Amino acid sequence: MWRRASDRRAQTRPLPRALNVWDENKSVTIAVLSNQSVPGRALTLSLMAMLMAVIAAVGFPDALLDQQILASMLALIPAFLLAHYRSWGSIALALGIGMVALCVTHLSAVYFGLPLGASPFILIVVTPYLAIALGAGWFGEVRRYKAELRATQLQLIQAEKLESMGRMAAGVAHEVKNPLMTILTGVKILSKRTAEADETTRLLLQDMADAVARADRIISGLLSYSRERGLDVVPADLNTTVARSLVLVKHDLDKAQIKVNTHLDPSLPKLTLDEFKIQQVLINLFTNALHAVGQGGSISLRTSLETVSRRRSGGSGLVNRVARSGRFVKVQIDDSGPGIPPDHLRKIFDPFFTTKPTGTGTGLGLSISRQIVEMHGGTIEIGNRDEGGARVTMMFKVPEGALA
Amino acid sequence: MTKRRILLIDDEVTITRGLALYLQENGACDVRVENTGRRAVSAAREFQPDLILLDIVMPDADGGAIAAEIKADPVLQTTPLVFLTALVSHREVGTESKQIGGHPFLAKPVDPDVVLGYIEQYARRG
Repeated sequence: MWRRASDRRAQTRPLPRALNVWDENKSVTIAVLSNQSVPGRALTLSLMAMLMAVIAAVGFPDALLDQQILASMLALIPAFLLAHYRSWGSIALALGIGMVALCVTHLSAVYFGLPLGASPFILIVVTPYLAIALGAGWFGEVRRYKAELRATQLQLIQAEKLESMGRMAAGVAHEVKNPLMTILTGVKILSKRTAEADETTRLLLQDMADAVARADRIISGLLSYSRERGLDVVPADLNTTVARSLVLVKHDLDKAQIKVNTHLDPSLPKLTLDEFKIQQVLINLFTNALHAVGQGGSISLRTSLETVSRRRSGGSGLVNRVARSGRFVKVQIDDSGPGIPPDHLRKIFDPFFTTKPTGTGTGLGLSISRQIVEMHGGTIEIGNRDEGGARVTMMFKVPEGALA
Repeated sequence: MTKRRILLIDDEVTITRGLALYLQENGACDVRVENTGRRAVSAAREFQPDLILLDIVMPDADGGAIAAEIKADPVLQTTPLVFLTALVSHREVGTESKQIGGHPFLAKPVDPDVVLGYIEQYARRG
């Protein structure tokens, strides 16, 4: 059964104090170390390794070289254990550095004619640097987790803000819509009774009716927003949904003589979608593009199958979301409009933010769109293209086992 | 032509006053207004309307409960009923699946001409 997006967030992404958000197996080590600064972590690793080396030196003062190598290996065990929580690449790096350290220890003892008992001392000197080198690679991983954590926290804060607004909207709607009904009915009665009235009177009455309609659009948008909580998902072909959505705005596109270039990848696997809601998102995006390009402009629409690796995760725009690795269906909408001013990009998904003329847009379209996309586990980013115009990119994760 | 008998139940006096006037002047309707939800069923029994326009959220009664009571009443159970509510948006009105308890609904603020259209479509024909 489909769980509500907010429920899923609550269960799998509580606001974390440590980096234990995504992978329970990583939580202990990362949680311990994430509370320290970067130099602090290096020092911790170094001290652990030094401690092991001292134990080895004290425990085996007159040992043979092989035993000292064993002792050196013991000294590196903490670093290996930490490496284990990272990746195979980090473990390989740790092993490589460890082997070099052992060689340096041994060769130094032989070259300088030092007694073998001195090699643990050299190891004590060398090991901190090894640990720091190991830590440097590891910190890269930590930094990446931190960036993802920051993005997730921003998502959660935004979701909380929007949910509060949704709750408020439902309450306000009832109190506002009733007076609007009174006004609208009154205007209609006056319009009928003053059918023969002068042009100015008729214009005033029409303005009043339009004002009611405008207020109603805003309230209805808020109501819709507060209701976007559940999905009715089925296995669906995104290309078909895109094509259907295009048909619904075809009249407006034709009227504005806008050229639409479509490149729909026929090999897309089926996704698990609420087709109606995704259609709502697409219509909203097409309408925005239509308004942006104006008469005679062009819109390019492309779908494709993408493979995203973890290291490539994140987006290039200001709206940077946490992407996971795997296969994704990408929907990209480019327009030939003037693009979006940089200071608007930051606010573009905020409720009520609009650049359209007063009365034209409610400023809720993109808010609701992002909510719907994220309910599908997808991401949406908006930015500007180098060649001019805006670009909207949506990514939807391909379910495991889905066939092309 | 026989006038359609419309029972309009809504606690908002300003709405019922205006809508009743519009329906009478432009729709040849005989409208009875009831602003108290608790008295809705007895008013319906008394008035025997061809259609009931019923608000959902009222301070003293729930529109859904009133509709259930009307449906259970042997005299009123065939009376068509249209909900009039501020709790939905226009986008949610109109398709077959978008009904409340098997009754169509209209989203406030609704154009009185649309109300007349619903009366034309759903009201019992005398």
